Parts: sequence; C-alpha cells; structure tokens
Amino acid sequence: MDTSVLIYLTFGLAALGALAVYMAAPRGGQARRIPAIALGIAAIVSFAWLVLQRHTGSAGSKVALTVLAVLSVGGAVRVITHPKPVYSALYFVLVALSSATLVLLVGAEFLWVAIVAVYAGAILVTYLFVIMLAQQSDVSAQDLSGIEPDALSAQPFQGSLGIPRSGPLDYDRDAREPLAAVFAGFVLMAITAGLLLNHAWPATRAGAAVEDNTFGLGKILLADNAVALELAGVLLLVAMVGAIAIARKRVVADVTTQHEDELPPGEIGRHVKPF
Amino acid sequence: MTHAAQPLMLIGAVLFGLGVIGFLMRRNLIIMFLSTEVMFQGVLLNLVGFGAIGGNLQGQAFALFVLVIAAVEAGLGLGIVVMLYRRKGTLDAEAWATLRG
Repeated sequence: MDTSVLIYLTFGLAALGALAVYMAAPRGGQARRIPAIALGIAAIVSFAWLVLQRHTGSAGSKVALTVLAVLSVGGAVRVITHPKPVYSALYFVLVALSSATLVLLVGAEFLWVAIVAVYAGAILVTYLFVIMLAQQSDVSAQDLSGIEPDALSAQPFQGSLGIPRSGPLDYDRDAREPLAAVFAGFVLMAITAGLLLNHAWPATRAGAAVEDNTFGLGKILLADNAVALELAGVLLLVAMVGAIAIARKRVVADVTTQHEDELPPGEIGRHVKPF
Repeated sequence: MTHAAQPLMLIGAVLFGLGVIGFLMRRNLIIMFLSTEVMFQGVLLNLVGFGAIGGNLQGQAFALFVLVIAAVEAGLGLGIVVMLYRRKGTLDAEAWATLRG
C-alpha cells in the first residue's frame, strides 16, 4: 500500500485511539464503558492491520505479530486506565511478557529471557510490594455524631463508620486533564509512527550474524561495550546503596496530616506552612 | 531477520505514547511510575528494531543497558514514593502541588 495513504490512515487511527482512551479514562468513578470498549477494539484491530502492512515474514510470524500487538497495546491501555493499582500492575505484566515475545520475533533470545526475568520477575514484584505497603483503607473523617446516610451511594456511609472503603480511592477514580494528556500522547504517537512508516528502511545487511544469540551478545558486550558493562555494574551498586540510604531515613509525618482527612482531595497539602 | 523490525518499532512508538498519556493522566504516584515503565518497554522495542535493521547485536546490547537502568529507576523511585507516602499519608500527586500562585 502507498506510504502516504498509510500515513493518513495512521493519523486517523490515532484520532480513533485517542477517542477510545479518552472515553476509557477513569472519570468520576465510571468511565463510559461500552463505547470505550467498542472504539478501543476497533482501534487496536486497525492498528494490528497497520502493523501487518509492514511485515515481510511468514504467515506464522504474522499470526504471532498480530496476537502480540493486540496483547501489548491492549494491556498498556488497561495499565493507564484502570482505577485500581494492583490491576494496573498485573496488566503491566502482560505488557512486559508480550514485549518480551515481540523481541523474540527478531531473534533476540537472551533479551526475551532477560525481560521476563527482570521486568515481570523483579520490577513488577517490587511494584506489587509497594502497592501493598502503600495501600490505604480510606476512612472518611466525617464526624461520627452527625452521620447522614448518603442515599446516593453506600460508600461515604461505609467510610464514616470506619469500614475500609472497597472501591477505588478518589485520586484513582479521576484522571487529571484526560483531554490534554490523550491529545499530547496520540499526536506524539501519530507523528512517530508516521515518521517510521515514511522512512526508507534499508533491507537486511549482508553478513548478519548466524551464531548463537547469547554467544554473540556476550561477545559484543565484552568486546565493544566493556566500559558500559562496568558502568552498569557500578550503577547497580550505587543504586543499592542509595536505596538503603533512602529507606533508613526516618520520616516525620507532616504536622498537618492529622487534619488532612478533613480536607477534600484538592486541598490536601495546600495549607502546609513554608517553614 | 528484519521481517518484524518495522512492526516492532511501530508497536514501540505506540507503547511509548501510551506511557506518556498514563504519566500525564493519572494522579496515583505508583501508576505514574508504572507508566514510565511502559515507556521503557516502548523504547526497548524500538532499540531492538533498530538493531535488527542494522544487522548486528548492538541494539540488543543497548537494550540490556536500558533494562538495567529501568530496574534501578524502579527501585529508587519506589523507595522515594514510599517515603513520600509516609510523609503525607496519601499517594496522590496533587498532595504535593503546594506551589500554587
């Protein structure tokens, strides 16, 4: 298909995707689900079609690419639009695993294992630990003597009795500036994709390595990138020391925190004294 | 094996853009960091795609370093997020928006 037609289609697809993500963004506790899901599926399927246009391999590879493209993009959309952090982390595991398999399509076996082990194994487990640590039981600080059962929803009433609120928290339920964010992100996406499609990529270079991927990667790391390898090790060491130094610091909660829960969410932290 | 290089880069571009949207859109500090991890995934795919077109393994070597940096950033960033949470009692990024004029 002609490149300029593809680029116009890319921009149209970006607009469709922008609409889908904008509708799926958490707003007031309830995103508009059915149109968001329908538009999202249409956008992802069209994106898979677009991606296949530039694929020059076997049919089995095409199937794999389609499935992985749908999984990774769909998972990424759910990461950024799901109101609960634990679900976002789990969808991110899906994104990490599908991008690991995507690099397997170009023969990067070591990187496949590395992404699964480091991302899905280490980084996501750390994220889940922190999510569990920082989980709040959102006890609303309504005065117990003046309880008015909220007829519209049970949740404020639940909170005022000290029962942990089971739904998403207020800052999870509302996206901030979804329109501007979606516009910026999808313009970026459309321009990058258009540039990638427009560029005349060279064909396979002659003399591509046919040796084992791990062996070749090891050779390159030690022969050409030895300094970078050592620096990466130093970086990891420094990060470990830094993390321990951060974690040992005793933190005094702000004096105003005991009154924080009386304030509506937009006012938290607003009345902190400067000194 | 460049047959999947361009599709890889397209998917990388989309993942990066979605990460940007998630970072700008959400208020929960942990989800903001998770969106930067999605951005890292996009960059990873792009690097491997470029490496596949170049015909050597330099793209994958660089992707390994990106992986190291992502792990480091996740560890330290989450440590800071935990400290911020301890100070304010909330994971809301708007709680730190004290420079209002």
